[in-house]
Amino acid sequence: MIIVPTAMIIDDSRAMRLILRRIVTQLGFEVHEAGNGKEALDLLETVDPMPQVALIDWNMPVMNGLEFVTAVRSQERYRQMTLMMVTTESEHGQIVRALAAGAHEYVIKPFTPEAIAEKLALLGLVPSGIV
Amino acid sequence: MSAPTTDDLHAITEQVWLSYLDPEGVNPFLPSPDAPPSPHVIAAVSVTGAWEGHVVMTFSERAAELSSAALLGMGDDEVTPDDIADAVGELVNVIGGNVKSLLPDGSLLSLPHVVTGESAGNTRWPAAVEVCRLQGSWQDEKIAISVWTSKSAGEGA
Amino acid sequence: MALTQHEFAFVSGLVRREAAIVLESGKEYLVEARLLPLARRTGTVSVSEFVARAQRERVLADQIVDALTTNETSWLRDREPFTAFTDSVVPDLAERRGPQHKLRIWSAACSSGQEPYSLAMLLEESVRAGKYEIIATDISTEMIERAKAGRYSQLEVNRGLPVPMLVRYFDRVGTEWQVAEALRRNISFQKVNLAAPLPQMAPFDVVFLRNVLIYFDLETKRSVLRRIRSLMRPDGWLFLGAAETTIGIDDGFERVVAGRASAYRPRAATTAPVGATRKG
Ligand SMILES: C[S@@+](CC[C@H](N)C(=O)[O-])C[C@H]1O[C@@H](n2cnc3c(N)ncnc32)[C@H](O)[C@@H]1O
Repeated sequence: MIIVPTAMIIDDSRAMRLILRRIVTQLGFEVHEAGNGKEALDLLETVDPMPQVALIDWNMPVMNGLEFVTAVRSQERYRQMTLMMVTTESEHGQIVRALAAGAHEYVIKPFTPEAIAEKLALLGLVPSGIV
Repeated sequence: MSAPTTDDLHAITEQVWLSYLDPEGVNPFLPSPDAPPSPHVIAAVSVTGAWEGHVVMTFSERAAELSSAALLGMGDDEVTPDDIADAVGELVNVIGGNVKSLLPDGSLLSLPHVVTGESAGNTRWPAAVEVCRLQGSWQDEKIAISVWTSKSAGEGA
Repeated sequence: MALTQHEFAFVSGLVRREAAIVLESGKEYLVEARLLPLARRTGTVSVSEFVARAQRERVLADQIVDALTTNETSWLRDREPFTAFTDSVVPDLAERRGPQHKLRIWSAACSSGQEPYSLAMLLEESVRAGKYEIIATDISTEMIERAKAGRYSQLEVNRGLPVPMLVRYFDRVGTEWQVAEALRRNISFQKVNLAAPLPQMAPFDVVFLRNVLIYFDLETKRSVLRRIRSLMRPDGWLFLGAAETTIGIDDGFERVVAGRASAYRPRAATTAPVGATRKG
């Protein structure tokens, strides 16, 4: 049986979700999409298997990315999921805050497809040969 | 912290173009001094908090179509008005987010706002002054990007 | 407006002479795409006119060489050579040379500097912190200047730099990120053409010569490898790009496996490798 890795894309912009979907699909991921942190938490209850990685925007209505990271990190059952911020927030202090909350990696918008692929390789989620 | 400059806008724009609109680097945004004619599409985000103002992008109708198609990876005759609103909204969101990182800590970015058609040309930013502007063309179509600050909160920023 | 055969021949002859880079016919489109921004910047109407002027003006010819060398690079590029560097090479050399030895490392086609700074970051986090010197060289003046400045755009820091390293070693300056002085002070930058006789340098423990041999023809590859070998300690380590090898080119090197990467060592030294096994 081939296990297809899945990624969850959490961004309130449909255009940005589309861009990210195109990139991670090419890297071999199945994709789930959510428009904010709350929607993503609800979706996590229903999807099986759990996504290997979540790509998370910061500024979103209802529940922002930082709140989502904090919520996910407080739950044992999501321990295996890798959390990668993908956001325009790029102040030094903001990045440190996201890492302290439990994010594993961080991509600043704008990004090229290679940047996403290389970060996922860094996290051991795609073989570095693909990059 | 000093106010953003036209050079900053240019650096940011170049990176956005290389990421989303011109990945090969062969079709860059070309700055030019000629003022663009009345725009057809306006996309804006507001900054509030420690600094108050707006980041605004204006497009000719064709420029909006072309950039939306490139961003979304669609043919330029396929894009719907909704696609254009999403796409130019995201462009100004990314540019605005990068402008925000030049502003004092504690500034917040609003959701993007897009105006199309006749009313776009009449959009005004009352009580705000222009801080910097980058204008030029992409594939021979006019695009301008500008940063505005609200007069009252502008001091001390 | 396509380049004429004559113009293309001038350009390819130029980069071949100056950088030993081979541009086969069929690459006309590449030449045009790379030269168009230069032509615009100089205010010439076309690439053809720009090429014509470059035949008389040395500065423009230099710009052509700069524009046609591919500078593509990223942080910790391909990961594995860098993992091997930290896990195999640094401990091996610590054992051979003792804890006080100052490691000498050469990043031999460093482009905009991501490679030497990546090595410096890894060394700062190892037992060698502060006890190393890196010489970073490239043929392109523009690249050496950029590398020396150590300022990177948002797009560049996104490319493979682990975010904990970004936070630790970089400061934001306007729209860019500036490498910390702590990294810069152990690196010196210098313009060096690998395809010409090399300047006098003390021998190196480790050489990174990655993703540059691919642009050379066989003879140039051979002479570059030979010159580099003469500047390496007999038990030193050479890392090449993923698509490059010494095999069939210079048998003065032997390929060894280091972690999940391949490395190359001067042949006599591989009799008692520490932390490495032979292959090929
Ligand atoms: C593709 S980059 C590789 C950068 C880095 N080593 C890496 O692996 O990411 C190739 C570099 O080789 C340089 N180069 C090309 N010809 C050269 C020559 N004859 N001597 C020295 N450097 C050269 C170019 O200027 C360019 O910066």
